[in-house]
Amino acid sequence: MSRALKLAAVAGAALLARRALRGRIARSPLWPLPALDTPVSGHSPRRWLPALITSRTEPADGVLMLTLESPELPPWAPGAHVDVQLPSGLVRQYSLCGDPADTGRYTIAIRLIEDGRGGSREAHAQLVEGAELPVRPPRNRFELVPSSSYVFVAGGIGITPVLPMLREATAAGADWTLLYGGRSRSSMPFTAELAAYGSRVTLVPEDEAGLPDLSALGATPPGTLVYCCGPAPLMNAVREAAPPTAAVHLERFTATTPTTATSRPFTVELHRSGRTIEVAAGETTLAAVRRELPDTPYSCEQGFCGTCQHRVLAGEVDHRDTLLTDQEREDSMLLCVSRAQDDHLVLDL
Amino acid sequence: MSNTPHAPAPVASEHIELKARNVSFGWEDTPLHWLPGDPFATHTINVLHLLLPAGERWFVHVYKQVLPYVKDEQLRADVVGFIGQEAMHAAAHDDVLPHLKRLGLDPTPYTAQVDWLFEKLLGDRTLPPGKARHWWLMERVALIAAIEHYTAFLGDWVLNADELDRRGADPVMLDLLRWHGAEEVEHRSVAFDLFMHVDGGYHRRARTWATAFTALVFLWQRGARFFMENDPELPAAKASLGQFFRAGRQGTLPSAGAMLKSIPTYLSRSYHPSQEGSTAQAVAYLASSPGANGGATA
Ligand code: FES
Ligand SMILES: [Fe+2]
Ligand SMILES: [Fe+2]
Repeated sequence: MSRALKLAAVAGAALLARRALRGRIARSPLWPLPALDTPVSGHSPRRWLPALITSRTEPADGVLMLTLESPELPPWAPGAHVDVQLPSGLVRQYSLCGDPADTGRYTIAIRLIEDGRGGSREAHAQLVEGAELPVRPPRNRFELVPSSSYVFVAGGIGITPVLPMLREATAAGADWTLLYGGRSRSSMPFTAELAAYGSRVTLVPEDEAGLPDLSALGATPPGTLVYCCGPAPLMNAVREAAPPTAAVHLERFTATTPTTATSRPFTVELHRSGRTIEVAAGETTLAAVRRELPDTPYSCEQGFCGTCQHRVLAGEVDHRDTLLTDQEREDSMLLCVSRAQDDHLVLDL
Repeated sequence: MSNTPHAPAPVASEHIELKARNVSFGWEDTPLHWLPGDPFATHTINVLHLLLPAGERWFVHVYKQVLPYVKDEQLRADVVGFIGQEAMHAAAHDDVLPHLKRLGLDPTPYTAQVDWLFEKLLGDRTLPPGKARHWWLMERVALIAAIEHYTAFLGDWVLNADELDRRGADPVMLDLLRWHGAEEVEHRSVAFDLFMHVDGGYHRRARTWATAFTALVFLWQRGARFFMENDPELPAAKASLGQFFRAGRQGTLPSAGAMLKSIPTYLSRSYHPSQEGSTAQAVAYLASSPGANGGATA
C-alpha cells in the first residue's frame, strides 16, 4: 500500500516538474540559456526595411519632400538620419524631418543638386508616390542633448534635422532661437511652419539680406547649446563665431565628399605592423595590403561579402561599396573596393 | 598514441576555387508555410534561419583568428573563400527573420538566446588568456569541423530532396536552401582540412563531435517546438518525434536512418568530407540558381 503511495507521489512530482519545464520553455525557448540583451540576429543595422512612398510634395523650389510608411520603421529621435537606397542602387543619407511621435512614418526632404553625384537628380526624377524605397534603421550622431536653452543655425536643406529639434525643444519648454539662411525665400523649405514660432526664428534669404550675421553667437551664455547643420563654410563660421568654451554640435553629411571616378595612387600605413605601402592607381587597396600581410581575409573582391572590412585609424575614405552602414563607414572600410579620399590612410593592421 | 594526427587524403582532385557569390532573394511572396500542407517540416527547416545567422557569423569570427596559424597557401585561400561564403550565408538567412516577424511569427525570443550562445558562451573570453585561450581556439575550430559535417550532410540532402519540388515548396525558399546547400557541399572539406592542419587530434575530433551533435539536437528540437507553438495560423500545434519520423520517411526531411549513419562516418579514422556529396552537382546548381545569378526576379 505504502509502495503504491510512493509510486503515485513520484509520478505526481514528475508530472509537476514536466509541467513546470514546459512553462519555462514556453517563456524562454532555449532555457536555461540567457538571451543577449540587444539581439543581433534579425536586427542587423545593415538590413533594408521596405517602405512605401505615400506622399510626394515640393515644399520649396528644388526641394522634394517624401513621406515613407511601413509598420517596421523603428522609433527615432530628432537629429536622426537614414540610409536610403535609390532605384539605381546608390545609397544616400537623409535626415528625418517629420514627427517622431508619428510611428511607422518617416519624412525626408531632398534638395536637387544639379552638379552633384547624381543621387538627388535620380531621387527627384524617380521617387514617385506608390513606389517602394528601402531604408535602413535610423541612426543619430546629432542628438539633441537636454538643455534649458539652445541656439540653432541652419543653412538651406540643413533645416531638416533641426526642424524636429525645434518641436522637441518647444515641448520641453526650452528657450531657443533659430537663424535660418538660404539662397532665396522661395528655395527655403518649411518657412510656413517656422512662421508659427514668431520672433524666435530669423530667416535670412541671401538674395535679400546676404549671409546670416553670426556675431551674436559670440555672446552665447555658458550652458546654451549650439546646433548647426548646413554647408561646410557655414558650420566652420559657426564654430569660429561661438565662444571657444561653448558646446557646438555640428551635423556633417558624408555626402559632401565627392567620389572620384578615377583611381589615384595613395599610401597606406599599417599601424600595427608599422609598415607603409604604396597602392598603385590600377590596383586595389586589398591587393596592396595582401602583398605585405597575406593573412588578410577577403573573398568576393567586389564589396558585397564584407570579409575585407577593416578599421581605419586616420584619413578620409572614398567608400565605393553599398554594404556598410554609414556608422561602419566612420571608422572602417572595405579594402577590396574603397580607396583613400586624399593620398594617405592609416589602417589598424 | 592514438592522438597522433594523420590526415586522410581527399578522394578526388576536384579542387575548385572558393568565392563568395552575391545573392539576392525577395521574400515578399513567400508564405509562412512555404512547404504547403506541412507546417512541421516547414518549421523544422526554418530552424536553420534561427541558428545560421549567429552560427555562421561565429564561424567567420573564429576563422579570422585562426588564419595566422595556416602555413599552407592553398589551404589559406580555401579558408579565406570559406569565410566569404559563410558571411553571405549568415546575411541571407538573417534576412528571412524580419519576414517571419512580418508573417506574425517573431523569432526574436529564440534568436536572442542563440546570439548569447555564440557571442558569449562560445566567444573569445570564455577562457582566460594564454594557453587556455589557445586551447579554446583549437576547440572551436574542431567544433566547426564537426558542424560542417552536418551542414554538408544537409546541403547534399536538400540538393536531392525532390519531394520538396513535388509538394510545391516556395521557389525562393527552395533556392535559398539549395544555394546554401550547394556552397556547403562545395566547401565541405575546408573546415576538416583546416582542423587537421592546425590540430588534427582524434580525441578532440571525437569530443567536439559529441558536443556539436548534442547541441544541435537540443537547439533543433527546441526550435521546431518554438515555431510550432507560436505559429499564428496553428493555435494548437505541437512538434513531436512522430512527425519527425514521418517526414523523414516521406522525404520532406532527412531520414533518421541517414542521420544515424552519418555518425560513424565522421568518427571513422579514414574519414574525409570529400568522400561524400558531389561537387559537380553543387556547381551545376550554383550555375542555375536564380538567387545566385542576379536576383530572384526570374
Ligand atoms: S572581399 Fe568581399 S567585401 Fe571585400
Ligand atoms: Fe554556410
Ligand atoms: Fe559551411
